Amino acid sequence: MSMQNPLARVRGKGSSGGGAHHWRSQRYSALILLLSTAWILWLGVSLAGADYATARATMSSPFNAGMAILLAGAVFYHIQLGLQVVIEDYVHIAALEFLLLISVRFACLVAFLISAIAALKLVLGA
Amino acid sequence: MSTSKRPMSPYMLGPYYKFQITSALSILNRLTGVFMSVVSAPLLLCWLIALASGPEAFAALSVWLAGVPGKLVIAASVFSFSFHLFGGIRHLVWDAGWMMEMPQVRATGWLAIIGSVLLSVIVLGAGL
Repeated sequence: MSMQNPLARVRGKGSSGGGAHHWRSQRYSALILLLSTAWILWLGVSLAGADYATARATMSSPFNAGMAILLAGAVFYHIQLGLQVVIEDYVHIAALEFLLLISVRFACLVAFLISAIAALKLVLGA
Repeated sequence: MSTSKRPMSPYMLGPYYKFQITSALSILNRLTGVFMSVVSAPLLLCWLIALASGPEAFAALSVWLAGVPGKLVIAASVFSFSFHLFGGIRHLVWDAGWMMEMPQVRATGWLAIIGSVLLSVIVLGAGL
């Protein structure tokens, strides 16, 4: 039995019931990123200032392409979860909050799709 | 949703609380995360798109990255990455229930600051 006033429930007050999923997702994506730290640092240092041929050759390796796609997924998922919390904390105009939350989700999805397509194009040599 | 005037707890930065390493690093972890979300990750995406688009696009981006604004963005991104990395490790350790005593929280805070500055210097030095 709920102790909540039915009117409060209808008005959308109280727990959404989805907090634990968000919390766990943020940690799981963080763990993937943490475990990939060495690869990220290696890639960044070895490709800093690299010319086109070198960068192209590096990203043509199936391992690097796979890591790039995995990381794009983890990064943009982690970004979506993180920006969501920041928006929920600081944006108090309901319509603007809703618009920002939807925009962040959409932008992260599009960013992941473009990353994956670009990485696939590089590894498949199209 | 609610428009009623309810008492609110004061914001952690401001005149109501002492400025201290715990709150400063908490907001810095957020700031570095937001910075990477709106600047660094889109830049990496641009790099990948440019590489997939061909030599001309890649050369144009490389020229911009080699300039002063590009170098500043890279340096800020490397520091943000380093700090968010150590800040994230702190959070994961706390989530496991460890290092929650105040002296430990302050000590790991200083470790995160020193570690992120060192890592930034090493990465920027190695990438030059």
